[in-house]
Amino acid sequence: MSRFNLAVKLLWRDSRSGELTILVLALIIAVTSSTAISLFADRLQRTMTEQTADFLAADLVITSPEIQPSSWSVKAHELKLDEAQTAEFSSVLIENDEMLLASIKAVSRGYPLRGYLKVTGSDYSQEQTMYQGPEPGNAWVEKRVLSALKLKLGDPLTVGEKKLLVSQILTYETDKQGDFYSFSPRVMMNDADLQSTGIIQPGSHVHYFFQYRGEAHALAEFNRWLKLRLNPSQRIMDIHEDRPELGSALSRAERYLGLSSIIVILISGVAIAMATRRYTERHFNATAILRCLGLKQRDILWLYGCQFIVLGVLASGLGCLLGWLVQQALFHLLRGLLPQHVANPGLLAVFFGFIIGMAVLVAFALPPLLRLKQVSPLRVLRRELEPLPTSAWLVYGLAFGIIAVLIERYTHDLNLTATLLGVGLLTLLLLGLLVYGLLRLAGKLLPYMGLTWRFGLQGLLRNTQASVSQILAFSITLVAMVLSFTVRTDLIDNWHKQLPENAPNHFALNIFPEQQVAFQQEMLQNGIRHSQFYPVVKGRLVEINNLPVQKIVSKDSQGERATHRELSLTWAEQLPDENKITAGQWWQDKPIQAGLVSVEQKLADNLKIKLHDQLTFTAGSQQIKATVASIRALDWDTMRPNFYMIFSPGTLDAYPSTYLTSFYLPEAQKNVLNTLVKKYPATTILEVDLILKQFKTILTQLTQAINYLLYFSLLAGFTVLFAAVYATLDYRIQEGAIIRTLGAKRSFLTKIHLIEFGLLGLIAGILTVVISEALIYSLYSKVMHIDYSPNVYLWLLTPVAGSLFVALAGYSGIRHVANKSPVAVLREL
Amino acid sequence: MQIQTDIAVENIIVAENLAKSVMTSEGLLPILLSIDLRIKAGESIAIVGESGSGKSTLISLLAGLDTPSTGMISLNGHKLTAMDEDGRAAIRNELIGFVFQSFQLLPGLTALENVMLPLELTGDKNAKTAATALLKRVGLSHRLSHTPRQLSGGEQQRVALARAFVTRPVILFADEPTGNLDSKTGATIIDLLFELNQENQTTLILVTHDQVLASRCQRTIKLDSGSMV
Repeated sequence: MSRFNLAVKLLWRDSRSGELTILVLALIIAVTSSTAISLFADRLQRTMTEQTADFLAADLVITSPEIQPSSWSVKAHELKLDEAQTAEFSSVLIENDEMLLASIKAVSRGYPLRGYLKVTGSDYSQEQTMYQGPEPGNAWVEKRVLSALKLKLGDPLTVGEKKLLVSQILTYETDKQGDFYSFSPRVMMNDADLQSTGIIQPGSHVHYFFQYRGEAHALAEFNRWLKLRLNPSQRIMDIHEDRPELGSALSRAERYLGLSSIIVILISGVAIAMATRRYTERHFNATAILRCLGLKQRDILWLYGCQFIVLGVLASGLGCLLGWLVQQALFHLLRGLLPQHVANPGLLAVFFGFIIGMAVLVAFALPPLLRLKQVSPLRVLRRELEPLPTSAWLVYGLAFGIIAVLIERYTHDLNLTATLLGVGLLTLLLLGLLVYGLLRLAGKLLPYMGLTWRFGLQGLLRNTQASVSQILAFSITLVAMVLSFTVRTDLIDNWHKQLPENAPNHFALNIFPEQQVAFQQEMLQNGIRHSQFYPVVKGRLVEINNLPVQKIVSKDSQGERATHRELSLTWAEQLPDENKITAGQWWQDKPIQAGLVSVEQKLADNLKIKLHDQLTFTAGSQQIKATVASIRALDWDTMRPNFYMIFSPGTLDAYPSTYLTSFYLPEAQKNVLNTLVKKYPATTILEVDLILKQFKTILTQLTQAINYLLYFSLLAGFTVLFAAVYATLDYRIQEGAIIRTLGAKRSFLTKIHLIEFGLLGLIAGILTVVISEALIYSLYSKVMHIDYSPNVYLWLLTPVAGSLFVALAGYSGIRHVANKSPVAVLREL
Repeated sequence: MQIQTDIAVENIIVAENLAKSVMTSEGLLPILLSIDLRIKAGESIAIVGESGSGKSTLISLLAGLDTPSTGMISLNGHKLTAMDEDGRAAIRNELIGFVFQSFQLLPGLTALENVMLPLELTGDKNAKTAATALLKRVGLSHRLSHTPRQLSGGEQQRVALARAFVTRPVILFADEPTGNLDSKTGATIIDLLFELNQENQTTLILVTHDQVLASRCQRTIKLDSGSMV
């Protein structure tokens, strides 16, 4: 205990003398940024998850054709999960001599568990947000139901044998499933009335959705528990699979946020290592005296170790607090962009920030600190006796170890971790050697240079190894900035490309063949751009090479889902845009041979479908057989009609079909919809504006979040810069004093410092471009699947910016060196 | 730069009513009290006194490394106390050489580069030739490309001597030049210092504890608690 007290006393004395300022500052910034980012990312992800949960109307949803086993409810109750359920089925409604096939949804108490519904009292009145479904005896209906059945609000509507009161017009339904092709107008009722409709009979075609809401760990446990008990017809819905457009954006965002955090932590770690190195070097003498006074090597390690742990706990604590405030401020700044309800920050994220602080301190501060253990007591007599540097394996090993663990922790992705570490380590090693070689080569030019340039360059050559480390450290900082900027820009460009301004925002389904030409004409007259009209035949894949698919398909896979429902089968003469043949050939023979099919690649992989396989489908009571002629890759992240199965023309002629298209309708032309709906009452117009809007809101939020993360990188970058400058401050002060004693003017010192830092920045800038391009290429091609092209501006601007940035920041850190009284400095030496 | 030739000929260093005090937590602490001093060109002066008597402060003021609280200093006719730091730096480069107890060589430069440095600061094109010649003179022609770390203490002080004399200074300030050396090496260095001083007709101001060394100078100034006694 007395040693601990001594450690605290020494720490207090050091802190009073300003010895620890830079170190503490670096640590606080590291912890502040990591906590803030951890909290910020955590809240953003929770918010996004909640938003995506809105799409499901719950945190966890199971679809099933049967009612929920009572054991599920018991388990959910045990885990304190809230539950709700909906039942969806089709029913023909008849009112005022009009008939309509409607999609009925009976909702339980508590629905929606996430998200909301929107209703309106009449066509023109204000929309109201509702957090529960209709009361028993009431029905909320889509506007189309009213017009189709010549009803108005307050009229009765009979569903099966139950008479309900139409009390609201339903305008938004949080969990409306995107099965666009079987889309019929919605009628929502309370499930208390379900029994009395008499519709639900054994064998009725009903989709049940069992919905749960609760704590993440309880949901995870429930999920695990359920997976063991689901039968093949029951399925857990997942946002990543059930909303592919949103899912891929979300997973990219998760990776990017994690990546940004790692970069900030890495940079802060470099700053901590540099600051500790200076701290250590300044404590050689004091340590030698302590050793003379009888402290053993392990006592020394314990003494300084205690100081650093106390320092770490205090700085991390303060950092956590600041991190909390910073993320609060960030959310306050972003409040205009975020939904009204933002998820609360999790205490675990704060704890994670604290742990990161301590881990980063150990990983980056321990190796330089270990040198103190090696200080010889003889140093009291011979000041030039310096302890051996810590093993490079330990220094880099610990740093890489912690970074690897953090990357894994953030991304849960071994592929990304290995890519980043592998490429990063190799690049750093190669570039370190390259810089070392270049500096040695530059040394050969010294005799041919003027004094000022020579001194500037000599500043770098004085300790080549340290300069290489600094150049690499600056490079990492600049790489972080370039990476943040470029990846962000490219990511958003890519998302924007994915969703151009005129992306289709409506789908028209169930267009009868005899109406197709007229419908197309109508669109042309109104100047509406539409995609191709695809014929659609509903069918189910039942056999592959005469083997039932259920025997082939793996559980819980894409293939399993595709075989559990009716697919939209189409035919086409030409290969649709954005589809690419990856195996086999698109139909070549003229006339085109019937009985061929082209299969989407992922589904083919999943179901192990190969070229020339024989597929059997059922459409109604009939069978369709086709041979696989080609496999197609396509981008699901678009709003165009995409198909798993495209048949050769002629194959599906015998089966009843409807047509499907997507089109872009600007806001100003919305009235066209009314005309279309009136003229083609059986056609379903699906407005995907809302989905798009929601999607874009999420993108905007992410862009803003990414911008703020960039500032953290910048802040951390500055710490490295100053830590690097302060690490060499003692030497610079000594050099400055001697040179000035010999008669140099202050401007001479200023010039040599500017040249030294400018050169450092220039080399770091050039390296930055090389490292960034390598990382960007690797990330884009291996992880993010974004097109890569070299950036000319990056090559031109980064070295110049690096040079200016490092020169000015470095100079501002040591400008007082030129003003220090030489006599005061020389006396200290 | 205004040159006062009238006093320059007789007294190369003139200090009048020189005082220096520093502010401490316990108030103003006087270090030097009203020093009046005149040193003739070519003269060798030893400044002696106990530790803390103000010796080092006095030479740092005389060399223009520090500024006095009150009083005037003139060096070879240049009124140091009227100049700014850059003006004093130019005077140091032009007129003064230094030898320190802890050598104060730049660790990143070789012996030759350390000696060339003062000449290079004036833009002298023959810096290398002059520095090489002087290093040869101090017996280090075989150590030109060695850095201070690779040299012994005696060798480092010889490099420092060469650096001090390479600009042919009018005045040489030496602050305990043998303080960090063993007696034998110290004696060799002192011999060399006086030889070079003789050859260059330099005015020598030497701070020392060593009475024997002080006795080799023409005049001794004793300081006690900041005053001349």
